[in-house]
Amino acid sequence: MAVLLIQMKLAVLRHSMTGRRAAQMVTGALTGLALAGGLIVLAGRDYPLASLPFDLLGVGFALWTAGWLLGPTLFGGGDETLRPEHFSLLSFTPRRLAAGLAGAAFVGVAPLVTLVAFSALVVVAVKAGVGAAATAVGVLAVVLQLVVCVLASRLVTAVLGQVMRSKVGAALAALVSAAILAGLHSSWVLSPLVQAALRTGFPAPFSACVVALPSGWGLVAVRAAGQGQWPTVAVALAGLAALGVMCWYGWAALLKRRLTTRRPSGRPVRVASGGWAKGPMTAVAARELRTWSRDLLRFHYLVFALCYALAFCLLPLAIDAPIFLPWTGAVFALWVAAISANLYGEDGTELWCKMMVPGAARHDVRGRQLAWLLVTAPPTLVLTAAMVVFTGEFGLWPWLAALVPALLSGGAGVTVLMSVLRPVPMTDPHRRGGNLLENGTDFAQVLLVLILTAATAAPAYFAVRLGPVWAGPVMGLAGGAAMAWLLGRLAATRLESSAPELLLHLRTGVSPKRRRPAAALDLARPHLPKPDLGLDKLGLDLAPTGRRAYVIASLTLCWVPLVAQGIVPALMLTTGHVTPSWLLALHLPQHLQWPTIIAMIALGLVLLTTGLGIGLYYLARSRRDGIKLDDGP
Amino acid sequence: MGPSSRYAALRLAALTKTFGRKMVVDHIDLEVPRGSFFGLVGPNGAGKTTSLSMAVGLLRPDGGRAEIFGLDAWADPARAKKLIGVLPDGLSMPERLTGRELLRFTGLLRGMELKEVERRAGELLEVLELDEAERTLVMEYSTGMRKKIGLATALLHAPRLLVLDEPLEAVDPVSAASIKVILQRFVGSGGSVVFSSHVMALVEQLCDHVAVIASGRVVASGTLEAVRAGRSLEERFVSLVGGQVPEVGELAWLSS
Ligand SMILES: Nc1ncnc2c1ncn2[C@@H]1O[C@H](COP(=O)(O)OP(=O)(O)OP(=O)(O)O)[C@@H](O)[C@H]1O
Ligand SMILES: [Mg+2]
Repeated sequence: MAVLLIQMKLAVLRHSMTGRRAAQMVTGALTGLALAGGLIVLAGRDYPLASLPFDLLGVGFALWTAGWLLGPTLFGGGDETLRPEHFSLLSFTPRRLAAGLAGAAFVGVAPLVTLVAFSALVVVAVKAGVGAAATAVGVLAVVLQLVVCVLASRLVTAVLGQVMRSKVGAALAALVSAAILAGLHSSWVLSPLVQAALRTGFPAPFSACVVALPSGWGLVAVRAAGQGQWPTVAVALAGLAALGVMCWYGWAALLKRRLTTRRPSGRPVRVASGGWAKGPMTAVAARELRTWSRDLLRFHYLVFALCYALAFCLLPLAIDAPIFLPWTGAVFALWVAAISANLYGEDGTELWCKMMVPGAARHDVRGRQLAWLLVTAPPTLVLTAAMVVFTGEFGLWPWLAALVPALLSGGAGVTVLMSVLRPVPMTDPHRRGGNLLENGTDFAQVLLVLILTAATAAPAYFAVRLGPVWAGPVMGLAGGAAMAWLLGRLAATRLESSAPELLLHLRTGVSPKRRRPAAALDLARPHLPKPDLGLDKLGLDLAPTGRRAYVIASLTLCWVPLVAQGIVPALMLTTGHVTPSWLLALHLPQHLQWPTIIAMIALGLVLLTTGLGIGLYYLARSRRDGIKLDDGP
Repeated sequence: MGPSSRYAALRLAALTKTFGRKMVVDHIDLEVPRGSFFGLVGPNGAGKTTSLSMAVGLLRPDGGRAEIFGLDAWADPARAKKLIGVLPDGLSMPERLTGRELLRFTGLLRGMELKEVERRAGELLEVLELDEAERTLVMEYSTGMRKKIGLATALLHAPRLLVLDEPLEAVDPVSAASIKVILQRFVGSGGSVVFSSHVMALVEQLCDHVAVIASGRVVASGTLEAVRAGRSLEERFVSLVGGQVPEVGELAWLSS
């Protein structure tokens, strides 16, 4: 049974070793190996204190295990290569199925990388010279730790998958993941403490905590073996083994539940009158608002954004640094933008309904923008106002009055444009199993939207920085409105022209332009995947080599003349804080400085616009022609 | 801007689609006369869904034309799409709305008056027996209910041509009877209907025109009488498509 499932999983993995999936897998494996290598190096180094390597490894293992436990929740899905549902009609007992799937769970890149990482335990044992017996204990502990890690990950993911079927559960899961992410992003707060610890050792209560966690039991066993305390060794190893068995039992029980209970049928919904929706655009907005309130996924994301903003801005209070507090609203707006940039992907093939209505694209985009603002703006404004009053930082008002409106309108623009340009296909809503984890978050998307939305606030930023006091707020409001209008306009035009391709993409999960090379690959023969530069995503795979090189080079390099050699020295000259550094203009005689800066900015703009122009041309073409090119021999 | 009476309700000319290396729709020519009730039949995977999607503007063809009342569905989609109501197969609906909300928002998106939308929505829901599911989201609908609400959205703006992909699949007999009456009345008042189906009896009962598609090609098309050629549609279909009845002895292990 287990052997059969392992064979199946290997077959699936082999077939998915193509294109983007393979590139992702290779990148993931390399990143994981680098981290694992880091742990081994950490274990092998010399330390001023004998206990330090053990404490450090304890922390490392704890974080690594936490990644296994919560990673699937944060990053979506977990390993669902073999879905238990596929086997539910075969006559296996859930226990046997769980055993088989557990066996298959150890096949894959992640367990292998984890095995490498945990072997740091053996390294530290050898390094500490605790003897052959203790080293053997280390080897055994590595295996047990891996087993516990993988099975506990399955259990926790299954539990959360069950819990997140309700609104309360979705909110809780959002709270936990927001706290963890915000904590990680605020870890700079801890750096003075860590530096002190590296010199003088960790405080005793901290060390005690680290070894008390199951992830530290292997370390306990190795140390105890080195000191000849064999009862402790036995207890620690037996503890690991028992934990593994318990996780497996728990998982098997949940598996049975998952296979035998259906998603509970929805309670009757509260039907709001929606009397304010009278025209096409308001109708779309009203529909979107219903999605925000009725879709567990959106609700989860919204709670996440709120919790993240609060945690991120409140955590530095631990070292008496209230600097972020007034910006809580802005952080919230940014994150709501980041998590709502897949509007069309989330709705799935429903897109056809809009395609059948003449002129619906424009109304749809505008309505979604309106709904996004209605959802995001009130909490953002309340948070901002409340935090300003709370901290008494009233002097910040020009900044806030410029940046908050700029971010809100930037978000309203970027989300719709991104939803059209870079949709991430998802299972259609009525086919989803009610488990939020089925649909992973696309982190490239989140990151891209964060950066782009933040970038839309740049004009407002410079207006406050360089202009008179009224310039910032005016720029924030007027410039922001223009930005939201423009980006929405681009999105609508795009949607109008390429809706059939978008629909096909959402329906089949294959983006039209990627289908060309796929046929050339020989699935039967394993081959090394080429790392995918994402050229096809950009539509550049169709461009002639020269143009492709030009687009890549110009878009990569344009920032040097535009920002580094243009805007930065310009700012320095206007503000009077001049540090020549590598800024060409500032090394020249005075009368040449401004002309050089202007020439640099012009060069940068030319590179940027031509690069973008050519790039977008081929992007549009590849979306349109992608399918046609398929017929080629 | 009434549809000019010179043109066919739907005309496909050399419509072509290739997926991968497989030519799924191979230069299909088809003409649906105005006021006809047109049945499209063919084995699984023949290309019915693909052809209809290309005809209404949901899937971009690799070549050929699709005309709706003389308007090119791809060159002049805005005017062409006003005239058609579509029920595709296997696509999702706005799932997190109740049936009534779905009709209301679709109507408003089409620029209709709220009052008129409400009136039509109420009638449609009643006729299609969906009014009891007033507080159920479309997501929770059964397969047949999904077909019915899809049909309601297709009818809402009073189109001149209905393009329906397997409209009666999974619909219970009572609802099916009322849908048939609705469609027949629609055709009686000058509308045109194209629908695909696997139920030959249904096609024979409703349609005056039929086309048989196999492997992406039209193998027979014309009036029902002409295509049937004196036999039953089912016999004719099997002989045209060349299916074979399993011989005794195949799958013998099944009866052990
Ligand atoms: N997106 C796609 N990618 C690749 N092949 C496809 C795609 N969509 C359809 N096909 C193929 O096109 C062929 C025709 O499919 P289509 O759905 O049009 O058939 P159909 O006549 O509607 O069949 P049915 O009666 O089963 O609904 C099938 O062989 C199918 O495999
Ligand atoms: Mg079909």
